[in-house]
Amino acid sequence: MSGDNRFLGLIYLSPFVIGLLVFTALPFIASLYLSFTNYNLMNEPVFTGLQNYIRLFTGDRTFRKSLWVTLVYVFTTVPLKLAFALFMAVILNYKLKFINVFRTAYYVPSILGGSIAIAVLWRYIFADVGLVNMGLTTLGFEPVNWFGDPTNALFTITLLRLWQFGSAMVIFLAALQSIDKTLYEAASIDGAGKWTSFVYITLPLITPVIFFNLIMQMVQAFQEFNGPYIITQGGPLKSTYLLPIYIYDEAFKRFDMGYASAIAWVLFLIIMALTLIAFWSSRHWVYYAGDKRS
Amino acid sequence: MTDHILSQNSPAAHDIDIARSRETRRHRLNAVLRYALLTAVGLLMLYPLIWLIGASFKTNSEIFSNPGFWPENPTLDGYIKGWKTSTPYSFGTFFLNTLWIVIPKVIGTAISCTAVAYGFARFDFPGKKILFAALIATLLLPNVVTRIPQYLIFRDLGWLDSYLPLWVPSALAGDAFFVFMLVQFLRAIPRDMEEAARVDGATTWQTLIFIVVPLLMPALISVCLFQFMWTMNDFLGPLIYISSVDKYPISLALKLSIDTTEAFEWNRVLAMSVLSLAPALAVFFLAQKYFIDGISSGGIKG
Amino acid sequence: MARLQLRNLEKDYGSFRAVHGINLDVEDGEFMVLVGPSGCAKSTTLRMIAGLERVTGGEIRIGGELVNDKTPGDRGISMVFQNYALYPHMKVRKNLSFSMRLKRRPSAEIEQATNHVSSLLEIDPLLDRLPKQLSGGQAQRVAVGRALIKKPQVFLFDEPLSNLDAKLRASMRVRITDLHKRLKAENQQATVIYVTHDQTEAMTMGDRICVMKDGRIMQVADPVTLYSRPANTFVAGFIGSPEMNFLDGTFEGPESVGAADQTISLGADFTRRLSGEPSGGVTIGIRPQHLRIAAAETPGTLKGKLNRIEFMGHEVYLYVDIGPKRIIAVVPSASYDRGALRDDWVWLSPDPKGVHLFDRQSGENISLAL
Repeated sequence: MSGDNRFLGLIYLSPFVIGLLVFTALPFIASLYLSFTNYNLMNEPVFTGLQNYIRLFTGDRTFRKSLWVTLVYVFTTVPLKLAFALFMAVILNYKLKFINVFRTAYYVPSILGGSIAIAVLWRYIFADVGLVNMGLTTLGFEPVNWFGDPTNALFTITLLRLWQFGSAMVIFLAALQSIDKTLYEAASIDGAGKWTSFVYITLPLITPVIFFNLIMQMVQAFQEFNGPYIITQGGPLKSTYLLPIYIYDEAFKRFDMGYASAIAWVLFLIIMALTLIAFWSSRHWVYYAGDKRS
Repeated sequence: MTDHILSQNSPAAHDIDIARSRETRRHRLNAVLRYALLTAVGLLMLYPLIWLIGASFKTNSEIFSNPGFWPENPTLDGYIKGWKTSTPYSFGTFFLNTLWIVIPKVIGTAISCTAVAYGFARFDFPGKKILFAALIATLLLPNVVTRIPQYLIFRDLGWLDSYLPLWVPSALAGDAFFVFMLVQFLRAIPRDMEEAARVDGATTWQTLIFIVVPLLMPALISVCLFQFMWTMNDFLGPLIYISSVDKYPISLALKLSIDTTEAFEWNRVLAMSVLSLAPALAVFFLAQKYFIDGISSGGIKG
Repeated sequence: MARLQLRNLEKDYGSFRAVHGINLDVEDGEFMVLVGPSGCAKSTTLRMIAGLERVTGGEIRIGGELVNDKTPGDRGISMVFQNYALYPHMKVRKNLSFSMRLKRRPSAEIEQATNHVSSLLEIDPLLDRLPKQLSGGQAQRVAVGRALIKKPQVFLFDEPLSNLDAKLRASMRVRITDLHKRLKAENQQATVIYVTHDQTEAMTMGDRICVMKDGRIMQVADPVTLYSRPANTFVAGFIGSPEMNFLDGTFEGPESVGAADQTISLGADFTRRLSGEPSGGVTIGIRPQHLRIAAAETPGTLKGKLNRIEFMGHEVYLYVDIGPKRIIAVVPSASYDRGALRDDWVWLSPDPKGVHLFDRQSGENISLAL
């Protein structure tokens, strides 16, 4: 408005600008620099060029294992979680009583799931004499060695993430409920059955939400730390040694900051690449209302 | 004429009735199936939590023998011994420590994110497009890549082993998600009332405090609630920055309690777990509508 | 000295010029209406006067002082918004007193002013209500009250009645103009700039009316002048209902004009009204009320085919086709004589005093010399 300082808006933004520069931009550039150095906190960083990266991709078996485990984790949990969340949202999207009760019930694990308390609980539940095995023996099955077996251990971590599908489900449910009911009426007049309606009306209309959830879940999954750290400590045999844990160990246990930064950058680039692919592909499958493209 | 009038007993009306009741039956069957599935999944999902609460009142040995959630001999033993912890500090100390992190963080977030959102939503200034793009970029940025240098910055500032690194970035509107949420909310509010306030003689600051903030309240509450929940669960932050046990928040204290020995008192650990979840759960149930509204509007309108 | 002066006022949005260097003086205590179709930039002009939009060229002076760089709160103006813009979380009392509380006036003074304004607008019983508990008319009165209490030099109204139903609009119109008269009688500041798109509102409320189109002023004058001496075809067509009839024609000598292959005689005195001899084509403008039914086959009248008749009580609306063009004539019912028609053909004679000639290119009225 008249009389206002041209930079008034910037004054209101000043906390953000300061924080952005000091805690985001600066560290971002610094971490790239560090990844090309050898730095153990005692002395000054020593520039070593591509040595860290070479070591990562040639000699480091832990890295390869960690990368593999992380990719498996992300590419199983993200699709499964989204599919399940969508499925439950579809079930809930009906004229039922107690919808809010169910919605709350499914949402509660999401808000608690990232906590240490739940991780501790998980450690108990899957212990050799824990709840799950107790249940299995009661039903007549053999108890399973959850934490001793590499595959089973990863399964417990995966299950923890899937348990938290509530937050994604709530978003899907809101999207489903916002679809104009008359579209389904028109479709049924045109002769479409339940499944056809779902595939040709529901799915296309919620693709923006699917896309949003996909990105959010993927970025989060790649940075999972609490669960594996507390429940399995990354084991057994590094079968749950996700990359964030590897980075943490290198940086704050071994204080090999340069190397840890290199791993962090590789993880970052993988996430960025996948995000960009998702964005690029979205043009082909995400439908935005008001788009003139068919 | 009379034989063509539709009556209750005529064949056409009868067919309509059959079709209608078939429709209702199908609807009812559908609903029953859904209820069954929803209840089954719901119970399966919540059983660990229900069991957790029950187990916190059990004796240690009963935890490993009884999969049912109701304790045979309920006892407060887990709570009493767990509260004392195996450190020189009671669980109450750790709770207080957590508050020392959560409260400044929530207040700092509320104030800074409101001001920044106001700046983005209501003003034009040089560099606005770039800064908004930076905001979105921060939203998508995996913070794993900034964590190490942030540690070094805090080390150089002398803030290690203090709570400052845990809430100062948020007090500088560091949580892009909340800024974005408030900007979207503000964009939906017409500017008339703020213009009227300016005509009434208010400065932009007075307009913000007296007019915008009251209008922004529902979204602000959502922001505070989310930040409260996320901070209570925060583990990696304290893990990196807090080294003295007497400064541990409950997330680190809990980890400590399962670190000590292999065979430890599970009922104490589980009791303390329940206590650590209690505030978050209580807040959630009291303010449910702000959560669900916040997450669905922030998610869709994005 | 004029209370409000606009000098070469301009507003650009990037490369788009919304307001083209307008000049306007509003006298002290005058009720000036800005009227025009949507997109004419009347609201933009008002908002620049208020300070809600930055001025990109020219000057605004209020009370003689240049206010271009002053904040809206510092200009001595107050504004009544189209959507009332009441503060939803404050009761009416607090809404009214907000400006005074910002200035930290003593509470006794605030209370007295609030009570005075609320009794003036008859909103006393509403003082402890929230805006959402008010009806449209009540909310608008509170908005007016909020403007009054500030005792500004200039009152700005931005289409305040367009959200009200027709009956409320009529009563609010009276209320506002009465308020204006009362303020003047009490020797208080009462300069008003009132924006509307409704020409009835403009004609009934304004001391002077400023007709705008596409960011330019078409004419500024009192209602009577605007009606009887429009400066161009736009003003002539905008003011008056039903709209003035326009016919393409030529000037055919001192007493007549030609249109649609017909000659219309206008009498010897007509040329005296013309500022110069029209060379090219002209647009002939005749208000519906200035056409009378002549006897059949009267020479020098306008012959057309009667398409429709609307009986309005004491008037009759005649829809007549002159070739492809449809014109309207409004005649008193008493004078409507079916006998003057021949097979739906009707002959209309214009009152020469009500005929205007406009330059066909520029639209300017060239018949205002007298």
